[in-house]
Amino acid sequence: MDRLDIPQGTLDLMILTILTREPMHGYGISQRLAALSHDSFQVNPGSLFPSLYRLEQDGKLKAEWRASENNRNAKYYNLTAAGRKQLEKHRQRWDRIAFAITSVLEGA
Amino acid sequence: MLRWLFRRNTIERELHDELRTFIDMAAAAKEDEGILPAEARRLAAIELGGMEQVKERVRTGRPGAWLDEMAQDLRYSLRTLARAPVFTAVALLTLALGIGANTAIFTIVNGAILRPLAYPRPQQLISISSEFPAFRSVASLSAAEYQEFRTLNQSFEEVGAFGTGGGGFTTSTSEVNLTAGDRPLRVRSMSVDAHLLRALGIQPVEGRFFSAEESSRWTGTLPPALAILSYELWRNAFGGQPVVGQTVQLEGRPHEVVGIMPPGSDVMDNHTQVWLPLWVHPAIAQGRANHVLRIIGRLKDGVTLEQAQTELTAVVDRWAERVGTTEHVPTNHPSVVVDHTLRMRPLQDAVLGSAGRSIWLLQAAVGFVLLIVCANLANLLMARAESRRREFAVRAALGVSLGRLLRQLLTEGAVISAAGGLMGVWLAQSGVETFVRAYPTSMPRTADLHIDESVLLVALGLSMATTVLFGLAPIGHRTHGLVVALKQGGDRGASPGHYRVRRALMMAEVAFAVTLVIGAGLLVRSAFNLTNVDAGFDRSRLVTFSMTLPQANTEPDTRAQAFQRVLEGLRRQPGIESAGVMTGLPPNRPTDAIGTRIENATSPDGNPLEVVDYYQFVIGDYFKTMGIPIVAGRGFEPTDVASDSKVVVVNETLASRIWKGQSPIGRRLRPNLGGTLGASVSPWHTVIGIAKDVKQRGVDQPTGTELYVFLDQHRIAPSTMNVVARTTLPPAALAGTIERLVREVDPGVPVVRLRAMDSVFSESIQRPTLVAQLLAGFAVIALLLAAVGTYGVLSYMVTERRREIGIRMALGAARSAVVALVMKEGLRMTLAGVLIGVAGAFGLSRLIESLLFGVRPTDAVTIAAVVAIITAVAAIACGLPAWRASRLDPIAVLRAD
Repeated sequence: MDRLDIPQGTLDLMILTILTREPMHGYGISQRLAALSHDSFQVNPGSLFPSLYRLEQDGKLKAEWRASENNRNAKYYNLTAAGRKQLEKHRQRWDRIAFAITSVLEGA
Repeated sequence: MLRWLFRRNTIERELHDELRTFIDMAAAAKEDEGILPAEARRLAAIELGGMEQVKERVRTGRPGAWLDEMAQDLRYSLRTLARAPVFTAVALLTLALGIGANTAIFTIVNGAILRPLAYPRPQQLISISSEFPAFRSVASLSAAEYQEFRTLNQSFEEVGAFGTGGGGFTTSTSEVNLTAGDRPLRVRSMSVDAHLLRALGIQPVEGRFFSAEESSRWTGTLPPALAILSYELWRNAFGGQPVVGQTVQLEGRPHEVVGIMPPGSDVMDNHTQVWLPLWVHPAIAQGRANHVLRIIGRLKDGVTLEQAQTELTAVVDRWAERVGTTEHVPTNHPSVVVDHTLRMRPLQDAVLGSAGRSIWLLQAAVGFVLLIVCANLANLLMARAESRRREFAVRAALGVSLGRLLRQLLTEGAVISAAGGLMGVWLAQSGVETFVRAYPTSMPRTADLHIDESVLLVALGLSMATTVLFGLAPIGHRTHGLVVALKQGGDRGASPGHYRVRRALMMAEVAFAVTLVIGAGLLVRSAFNLTNVDAGFDRSRLVTFSMTLPQANTEPDTRAQAFQRVLEGLRRQPGIESAGVMTGLPPNRPTDAIGTRIENATSPDGNPLEVVDYYQFVIGDYFKTMGIPIVAGRGFEPTDVASDSKVVVVNETLASRIWKGQSPIGRRLRPNLGGTLGASVSPWHTVIGIAKDVKQRGVDQPTGTELYVFLDQHRIAPSTMNVVARTTLPPAALAGTIERLVREVDPGVPVVRLRAMDSVFSESIQRPTLVAQLLAGFAVIALLLAAVGTYGVLSYMVTERRREIGIRMALGAARSAVVALVMKEGLRMTLAGVLIGVAGAFGLSRLIESLLFGVRPTDAVTIAAVVAIITAVAAIACGLPAWRASRLDPIAVLRAD
């Protein structure tokens, strides 16, 4: 199946969403993203890590090092309160965009 | 954000670990799918997409990344520069020279021209002078004109005067003997009236000014015995002790110190140490034709110079009517030679005088040097960029963005600029200090020359502009080169377009150098011409000094005897052929402009008095001692001493101006000896001879009219005179003898400025000589830089074309043909630069014309010489690479590809 490019500006939204369930490390996030999108989205680490670092600096994510399920020391990212608020805002915006696009497509 | 700045190392390590974990996890997942471990790791690494690239992208996305990157760029630049010491040293040195020269000259421009004079509201201060259009000379005003102008004008809030006349005409000899304690000092003085001090708006820090009464009522035979000390003299000679109200000895006469001036106070760059009340001898003050006072006025608030000028024109039009005489009044329409007009200009321009043009010329010259420096550095950096193509390619491949690479290059430029700039400012600082110490009076306002904020700002601006000029200029091609390098793996030659840029830079360098060297050549020739001007006397083997016999304890006749005694003493010395005494020391002395009655002649304006520009009072065997030829009649003879008939000698200019081709011998005139010498009567004098013209107001100036009066006949003398002796001995060998002779006459009188007449002469042309020397220095720097530039470009060309040259040689081309090939290329470029440079010199000839003496700005000999020199230098600069090209081993070259 052909891979899709991740639409501009939605990577942050997807990262934040994935992290609502539980804290995760970078590799885990990329795997979960691929799985949830049925392999349509394959995030490039060259985009993923800069996003993670930026969100961490902005206080949306909090990171801690701990052992992974395979006993590797990994950096786990967790949502902060600010991160949840950000997610809420982005989510609403995305819903409006999706609704709007769908309306246009179906109304035509 | 702070955490990101301060914990940079931890974060870098974390990032590294995190990415490693990513690879580990991805590899483990792939192994689970049954892929062999080694292959799994390789695929995982590919999935990550390159560890360093990811890191770089994370870094650039970080806040404060720019700061980090700048520090990194800086460190990297320092390392890179340290690895190329020759490049760094050459770049730093050229830049320091360029910035240093520019900063130094700008310090002069700033201090002497741009900085306002240190008075309150200095733009209101106006210098008023009289101008004789026929003689193209600017002079002072007469005492009468000054008083009249004070009452007639409406534009000025206050108008004041100071004295300039030499000799004994006014109190203002520019130097006086001051005895502080037991130490006699020779200090610079100026006589001013109370109006002038009010006009300038300076207040004494202690004590008071002279009153109008003390400085404007000119009676008696001696000025009021009052003095104001400069702050500096008070500190240095009196240790800052209270002196106001006490007396000091000036010219052997006790003067009351009434005040102390604030630090740095001065008028007309006189370096004044003692301020005296203005006083003009009544006999001189009466004569309308005696131009002895210099005038400064302060405009009323809101009055512009133009308005004042318009008013002045109106005032001058009605002057005669208003003052009730037509005798020697200023006019707006000079019709006869003795007519004069009044002229105003800002005081700042008057202080600067003719030096402004020289200073701007120097500024232009160093500007050229800086442009050459920039072109050279751009060339140097381009060549360096070539050799760093592989490095850039590798770094680009490692994920460094193009923008980051460019910034890196700019940082390198900035590091060199900053260091070069600092060195330049240091060079300028020490240069200016040395210059001012060595030639304190060569430029106006040397006291104002120091490196201040505006100079530093300009130096900084220059450094930054240079960074942009030579840091960015090569980048255009570098970007191009980078892309090429990335595509080709970074090993092939550069594009031809970029060679064109370097060639253009080199031609520009040669052109600038040619223009500058031509300018320098013209000025050097002018200075040489000035040195060889016939000043009218034989200045070799002459020793001169000045001495002042105090007016307080001497009379005109005792002074005459004292000078005679010194002369007699001198003549007895072995090694001294003859000796004489004179009032004005040629070739640069103040103008007298004294109204003189000529028998059977009236001035062209109907005035019975003719203005004589210079009076020269002489004692002893003057003409023979000075080596001034008598062209008609005879000089003064010992037989004249006892004769009742008083005699004078005139110079050629006076003879032709008054007697117009007829022989003046036997004609009579009546010199004004009252004010000048304190004589009670001025009898008719008979002209007995014509002396060859002697330069009076500078060797480059036209000669004025001059009258020689033989004081041996009159047995009186003014207080300050110059002794001159023709001798085979140097001044130093005579110093002891002369001091003893003067001490025998008066123990309190110092011997002043004992030196060879040759040095008097060279001092009179000091500024043009200095400017020529400085310009020649800049020209040599420009020439060297251009030669280095030419060499660099040609070497580069040889490297670029080594394959072609190798093939040619392999095909049997002779070594001489290879040399010719390279030389032809180099000389073609040089020639183009020379043509542009000569055209530039023609274009700029106007700028330099007024500074030249005895040589035209388009002088063919100078231009030909310069072209020859430049071509020779270029031939050497081209010759080296050409020779190297001819030594290429064709086999090695071809194999290398």
